[in-house]
Amino acid sequence: MNKRTHLSNLIARPEFGPLILLVLVIVVFGTLNPNFLSPLNISNTLTFTVELGLIALAMTMLMTSGEFDLSVGSVFGFTPVLMWTMVNSAGLPLELGFIIAMVAAMGIGLFSGLFVTKLKIPSFLVTLGMLLVVRGVALVVTDGFPQRTWDSQDHWLSNLLVGDFRLGGFRIYASLFWFVGIALLMHYVLTKTKAGNWIQAAGGNPDAARARGVLVDRTKVWLFILSSSMAALAGVISSIRTSAANPNSGSGYELEVIAMVVIGGTVLTGGRGSIIGTVLGVLILRVMRNGIVLVGVPGLAYNIFIGAIILGMMALHSSLERRHVERGR
Amino acid sequence: MLKGAVDMPDLIRMENIIKNYGPVQALSGVDLSVGEKEIVGLLGDNGAGKSTLIKVLSGAVPISSGKIFVRGQEVTIKSTTDAIGHGIETIYQDSALVTQLSIARNLFLGREPYKGPAFLGRLDEEMMNAVASDLLRKVGISKNIPPTTPIGALSGGERQAVAIARAMHFDSDLIILDEPTNNLGVAETQGVLNFIRGARESGHSCIFIAHNIHHVFQVVDRIIVMRRGRVVADDIRPGNSTVEQVERVITGMDEHVPV
Repeated sequence: MNKRTHLSNLIARPEFGPLILLVLVIVVFGTLNPNFLSPLNISNTLTFTVELGLIALAMTMLMTSGEFDLSVGSVFGFTPVLMWTMVNSAGLPLELGFIIAMVAAMGIGLFSGLFVTKLKIPSFLVTLGMLLVVRGVALVVTDGFPQRTWDSQDHWLSNLLVGDFRLGGFRIYASLFWFVGIALLMHYVLTKTKAGNWIQAAGGNPDAARARGVLVDRTKVWLFILSSSMAALAGVISSIRTSAANPNSGSGYELEVIAMVVIGGTVLTGGRGSIIGTVLGVLILRVMRNGIVLVGVPGLAYNIFIGAIILGMMALHSSLERRHVERGR
Repeated sequence: MLKGAVDMPDLIRMENIIKNYGPVQALSGVDLSVGEKEIVGLLGDNGAGKSTLIKVLSGAVPISSGKIFVRGQEVTIKSTTDAIGHGIETIYQDSALVTQLSIARNLFLGREPYKGPAFLGRLDEEMMNAVASDLLRKVGISKNIPPTTPIGALSGGERQAVAIARAMHFDSDLIILDEPTNNLGVAETQGVLNFIRGARESGHSCIFIAHNIHHVFQVVDRIIVMRRGRVVADDIRPGNSTVEQVERVITGMDEHVPV
């Protein structure tokens, strides 16, 4: 009886669908092409996955509070460009450039957050504006050309962010640990703490939350700052790893990240979010992209699969939601 | 009115409250009081000023002028936090709770108890769940509903019960109920009216706003009627007047209930 309840509880969880899908995807691609599960391929897939994943984690928190941020892709491109420009042109030390660039990114988040909460403009419009402004600034600063990134491989900061080592056949970057650590931290915050309670309340019913003294606006502003910071961190990590800071990089990431988050069961309208789900969503989309190419499906068809997965998952989540509510009555 | 005015001041007293929205005067000099352990029904047609008056008391909008006293002490209410601090809790129709959160988390929203060091911000969920179970029993929800159930899975009457239980638990002296019986079935309405009686028995006062005068008649000690931003009657007792008489006052056909 008890075991049965545990099992049915597991199935009723919004993360269950994505978990099954991920297992399925891995099994299918693993069967079709044995190279899919080779250490080299896993290492390669994970490398970029965790960079996008950092953005998705913060986006989960923001979306749980009922907002979202379309400017993350632009911030991803802009922050490393700003950092390297300061290092290259102004001769700043890397640490200082990093700090200034991160503060600038936080400023972008703060600006979006204040715009959304104080002027009561939907985050879709505010962050769409920020997407264009930030991307534009990155292009103007660099005249549209990639920034020269001197070899930073031995700098302590780059080692801390993306230093790599080999473990068996795997090449593992430090960014993987950042991703895992931040995912654990955010899961803890969202599910176990007062802040998490406030985030869910802010997204679920902001008026009721306000009436209880929850600082809804402040919570949202902090989450915009978090989202922007994570996008900036991911951008810097990516630029150091690839030794390139391109003002165009990160275009379209915002939609891929939002897709990852909603596949994981977080609701676009706020109130409910799952970090576990997002981790699964991130893995599903990146594994799909990698697997499709490996099994020889034209890469151009990738979007068809992703679109189908999003639609299928949304249908699943909404039917689970209905069943959940009906059972409760 | 004068009985015990010296030793026992009213729980809430509002004097000459004026509220202007631009050129529109929503409240034009309202005087109103609520005694200890008293359930007051606030009636009036749409646009009479009931909602504005409640918003003023709950801190949702500031007054333009006038005075508010809590137990004889003048207070200023500028925000919902102020109102809650003065023991005034407002339960808005169907919107007081976060449907995605559990019963226990809703009860403690904004006043979360910590477990362990404060900087970890960890919720004391054990304590929250225990208190929630206890409260659900007290408020009279007969079904065995675990405190971890999300509000979204509860019926309308159960939601009102949770909201009322929350106000009682946090020792709100005055619980304002805005249309608590809207959209409820007959049995559920009786349940909610029972919760309101229970609140009075445990020492709370209530302002009960409803369009359905019959519901108000069943539970209140006194009825206040508002019309066009003013209180036009404030001492109607359900015992010595009829629903029809009150309706005539609300619509302005009569100035007072005949004595």
